[in-house]
Amino acid sequence: MTASVALRRSRRQGLSSPRGRRGRVESLTGWAFVTPATVIIGLFGAAPIIWSLILSFTNDNGLSSTSAFIGVRNYRALAHDPVVTQAIEHTVVYTTLFVPGTMLVGLFLAVAMNRKIRFMWFYRTAAYATMAISTISEALVFIWLFDPSFGIVNYFFSLLGIPQQEFLNSPSEALQVIVVMTIWGWSGFAVVIYLAALQGIPQDLVEAAAIDGAGRWATFRRITLPLLSPASLFLAVWLTINALQLFDEVYLSTKGGPLGATTVLVYYLFDQAFQTNFNFGYASAIAYLLFVVILVVTAIQFRIGRRFTFYRS
Amino acid sequence: MGTNRSYIGVLCALAMIGASALAACGSGSGATTASGGGGSIQIWEGYTGAEAKAFAQLVTRYEATHPGVKVSSLFVNNDYTLQKVQTAVAGGNPPDIAYLYGSWAPNVAKLADVVTLTNVVRQPGVHWSDFWVGERDVATVDGRVIGIPALVDNLAVVYNKTLFAKAHLSLPGPDWTWPQFVADAAKLTDPAIKQFGTAYVTPGSEDTVWHWEALLWAAGGEILNSANTKAAFDSKAGLTSLNTLRTMAVTDHSMYLDPTDSAYANLFNSGKIGMLVTGPWDLSGFPNVHYGVQIMPSFPGTDGGHQTISGPDNWVVFNNGTSRVKTAEDFILWLTAPAQVKYFSLKTGDLPIRQSVADAAGFDAQMNASLPEVSTFTSNLGNVRQARPQIATYPQISQVIGTMVVSVLLGKAQPGPALAAASAKVDQILAGSG
Amino acid sequence: MTAATASKPTESVAVRARTTMAGPRRRLPFSPWHLVLIPATIVLLFPFVWLIVTSIETPAEALRFPPDLTPHVIRLQNYPDALAAAPFGRFFLNSAIVAVTTVICNLVLCAAAGYAFARFRFLGRTALFIVMMATLMVPFQVTMIPQFIIIKWIGVNLLAGAGIGHIGALIVPNAATAFGVFFLRQFFRTLPIEYEEAALVDGANRLSVLWRIVLPLSAPALATLAALTFLDSWNNFLWPLIAINSTAASTLPLGLATFQGAHSTEWTLLMAGNVMSLAPMMLVFLIAQRYFVRSVAATGLTGI
Repeated sequence: MTASVALRRSRRQGLSSPRGRRGRVESLTGWAFVTPATVIIGLFGAAPIIWSLILSFTNDNGLSSTSAFIGVRNYRALAHDPVVTQAIEHTVVYTTLFVPGTMLVGLFLAVAMNRKIRFMWFYRTAAYATMAISTISEALVFIWLFDPSFGIVNYFFSLLGIPQQEFLNSPSEALQVIVVMTIWGWSGFAVVIYLAALQGIPQDLVEAAAIDGAGRWATFRRITLPLLSPASLFLAVWLTINALQLFDEVYLSTKGGPLGATTVLVYYLFDQAFQTNFNFGYASAIAYLLFVVILVVTAIQFRIGRRFTFYRS
Repeated sequence: MGTNRSYIGVLCALAMIGASALAACGSGSGATTASGGGGSIQIWEGYTGAEAKAFAQLVTRYEATHPGVKVSSLFVNNDYTLQKVQTAVAGGNPPDIAYLYGSWAPNVAKLADVVTLTNVVRQPGVHWSDFWVGERDVATVDGRVIGIPALVDNLAVVYNKTLFAKAHLSLPGPDWTWPQFVADAAKLTDPAIKQFGTAYVTPGSEDTVWHWEALLWAAGGEILNSANTKAAFDSKAGLTSLNTLRTMAVTDHSMYLDPTDSAYANLFNSGKIGMLVTGPWDLSGFPNVHYGVQIMPSFPGTDGGHQTISGPDNWVVFNNGTSRVKTAEDFILWLTAPAQVKYFSLKTGDLPIRQSVADAAGFDAQMNASLPEVSTFTSNLGNVRQARPQIATYPQISQVIGTMVVSVLLGKAQPGPALAAASAKVDQILAGSG
Repeated sequence: MTAATASKPTESVAVRARTTMAGPRRRLPFSPWHLVLIPATIVLLFPFVWLIVTSIETPAEALRFPPDLTPHVIRLQNYPDALAAAPFGRFFLNSAIVAVTTVICNLVLCAAAGYAFARFRFLGRTALFIVMMATLMVPFQVTMIPQFIIIKWIGVNLLAGAGIGHIGALIVPNAATAFGVFFLRQFFRTLPIEYEEAALVDGANRLSVLWRIVLPLSAPALATLAALTFLDSWNNFLWPLIAINSTAASTLPLGLATFQGAHSTEWTLLMAGNVMSLAPMMLVFLIAQRYFVRSVAATGLTGI
C-alpha cells in the first residue's frame, strides 16, 4: 500500500441502522443526548424567532402596548424600499470580501503557527487577543489608522506614492475599511479554529507523504487542505452567518454612513426599530428577510460542503 | 458505566445549583419588581465622572433629609437608555425615573407607562416658567408634559486663541457674522501643517443636522411650517446656510470632516482646529488649549440674529403604582429645585436648568472659576428662540436632512437641488406616506 | 500504511525524511517563519499598544488626535483610580461566575448534543439541527425583547435566581448555544469512527463511549470551545445591559460603560479598565493552550 493517501468520503455518519428495536433505542438515546441543549436553545432561540415572525405581521412600534395585525403590508413595503435593496447589496458585498479574506488570513497564520518554534505561545496568544479586545477600542484604533488627514495608512500611501484616500469619508471606500477592520477582528478566531484542526492531523500522514517524495506545497494541497475541509466548512458557514449580521462595527464607527454606504441589513433594521422609525413590525420583517437569506446561503454552503469535505471514517 | 453517567449528571447539577445559589446571593437588586414599594425608587441615569459624584451626593442628601426613602440609581449609557426602557416596559418592569434624550420625547410619550406631569408642574413652588423655554418645549408633547428638564445646553463657537494670534486675526466679537467666520476659517487653514479652520461632524445623524439647523435659523429660516405639515427649509435661508457650509468644506477646504463623531474634539485639543461649533460639554476636554467662547455669528440682512439651538434632555417618570409615582415625583422636583440645580451646575460645569439660578449674582463668576468661559454658554441660552419640531416623525425628517447636508459637504450634490429633493421627501414623510 | 506497519521507519529513511522536510539548508539562526509571524503579530497587537499607552497616560495627553504613542508623563495611578471608581471587585466576581458556569454548561450540553448529531441517527435529526442553526440567523436586536419576557417568566415561575436582575438571567439563555453544538458536531465528525465502533461492540453504552473515548480525543476542540465561550460571556454587553437592574449584579462590561458618558468619556480610566478586563481572558486562553497540543492518542491514529 503506497503512502499516497486514499481518503474515503463519508456520506453517512452513524454507528448503526435506524430500523427496528435497535433503531428505536438509538432514537431515544439520541433525543436524550440532545434534549437539554434543545430546551435552552429552543426557549431562547426559537421562541423569540417565532415571536418576531408574528410581530412582522403587525404595526408594533415597540412603544405603545396596542398594535394591529396588518398582514403582509410590511413585506410589501420591504419589497419597494430602496434602502433595503441597497442594504442587501452592501451586506452581500461585505460578506463576499470578508469571509474568504478572513479564512485566508487565518489559514496562513495558523499554518505558520503550527510548528515547534520559540515564542509560539506568544504568537498564538496575540491571535486570540484580537478576539478579546472590545469592539469600541477596535473601532477607535481603526478610525484613527484610516483618518484621511492624520492616519497612518494614508501616511504610508504617501511614502509609497499612492494617492491619498478618503476612506471613511468616501461612500465608495467606507465599506472596505470596515472589511479590513473586521478581518483584523476575526482572523484570531480563524487562527484558533484552524490550529485546533491542524492539531488533529496525524503527523505520520504528512511524514509518509514526505517519504514518498512529495514537496511541501503538494503535501499541503493534497493532504492538509482536504483534512482541514471540515474546519473550512465550519468557518465558512459561521463567518458567513456573522458577516450577514454585521452591526457593531458599523454602529460604533460610521453609523451606516457616509450617505448610507455602510448601511447593512441589521443596521437598517436596528435603525428602523430603535432610532428613526420606531417601527418594530417593519424591523421584524427585515429580520425575516435576512433570516431567509442566511438560511438559504447556509444550506447552499452545506450542500457544496458535502461534496468537498472529507471526514475520515 | 454507571459511574460515568453520574459524573456528568453531578457536574451539571452542581453547575446549575451553583449558578442559582450564587445568583440569588449576588443579586441584591435595589428596586423590587412588586408594585407599591413605597419608599424605594429606582432611577436610571448616564452620569459619569464629576456628574456622577455630584449626583450621588445629592441622592445621599435627599435620603438623609427624607428618612424612609431609598433612591437607588443604576448607570445606563444615555445612548442605550431608550432600548432598555422599551424592553423593560414591554416586560412590565419599568424603572421609576429614567434620563431620556429630548429628541426621543415625542416617541417616549407613546409608552404606556409614562406619567403625565402636567398638573404636577403647575403646583406652586415648582415655578415651571423658571425653566428655559427650550426645555419646557421639549418636555411637552401635544400639550402634555411628560418630563422634567434634566439638562440644557446650546451651541456656540469655541476658538483657539493661540492659533488666532499666530494668524494675526482679531478674536471673534459678539456681533460677528458668518461671512467673517468663513473668512477666519480660511485664514486659519494651513494644509502644510494639517491645520483646519473649523470642523463638522458628518455621520448624517442628528448631530450633523442640528449644527446646520442653527445656521438655518440664524439665516431667518424655518425647518417646518407652523402647522408641521410641510417642509419650509427649501428657502433663501436654507440656501444661504447650506452654501456657507459648502464654501468651507468644498471650496476653501477649511473644514475637517469627521464621519465618526469621535476625532474632532481631540483634534481641537491638539491645536489642529481653529474654531469649533460645539457645546459646553466639550470644554472640559480642552485642557491643552487656550480657548475662548463666543456666541454664534449672525447673517447680516436677516432677522435671525445670533440665534442658537438647544438640546435639552428629560427626566421621565414611569408608573409603578401610585405611591412609587408620588415618591418619584417628590424626588425629581427636589432634584430640580433651585438649590440643587445651583449645586449641581457649580460642581459639574453643566449649564443651570433654571433661569433664576443663572441670573443670580456671582453665579457666572463661580462657574467660570471651575470651567473657564462657560458663562458665555449660560448667557447664550437667551439666544434660544425656538425648538426643533416636537413630532414623532422628526427622527425620519432628521435622517433626510442629514443625508442632504452630508452630500453637500462631500461635494456630491449642489445645495439648490439637494434642498429641493430633501424638502420633497420631508413633505412625503409628513403626509404619512414616507 | 496500516496499523501494523506504523512502526518507526528505519534510520536512513528517517534521516532522509527529515532532510526533505526541512527544505533548503537554513541560512538564518532562527526559523524563517519568524519573519512572517513577527510583522503579522505587530499588526495584530497594534491596537493593544494604543490601549495600554492610553491607560497609562494623563487625561490631558489622552485627549490628543492623532494619538501620541509616546506620552511624556506616565500615570499608573489610572489603574487604582479605575478600580475605585465603581465596585469593580463585584463586577469581576459576577463576570467570573457567569463566564465559568456558562462554559461548564456549554461543554456538557453541547458535547452531548453535538455527539448525538454527529453519530446517532434518530428521527427528526436533520430537522432539529436546521432549527438549531436557524437560531443563529436572527440578530439579537430582534430577539432581545421576547428573551426578556421569557426570562422574566422563568424568574417569577420557575427559578428566582434566573430572573430579571439576577446573574442567573445571564447564564441560562447562554447555557447552550447552537454555535457550540455546531462546532462540536463538526469536530466529532472528523474523528475516526473505529474506536467508538469497537467500544460499542465491546458492550459499552453510548454515554461511556462519549465520556471515555470521544471526549479525551477532543481536547483541542473542547479547549477551543471553552476559550471562545468564555470570551463571549466575558465581553457580553447588550443582554446584561437589558437584564440587569442593579450595580450589585452588574458585570464587567457594564462596569466599564460607567466611564463612557453621553458627551465625554474618561478614556484613561476606560482603557485601564479594558486592560484589566483582558487579563482573565488571556489567562483562560493560556490555560486552554496546553490542551491545543496534539493528544498522544491522535499521533498513533491511522484509521484509513
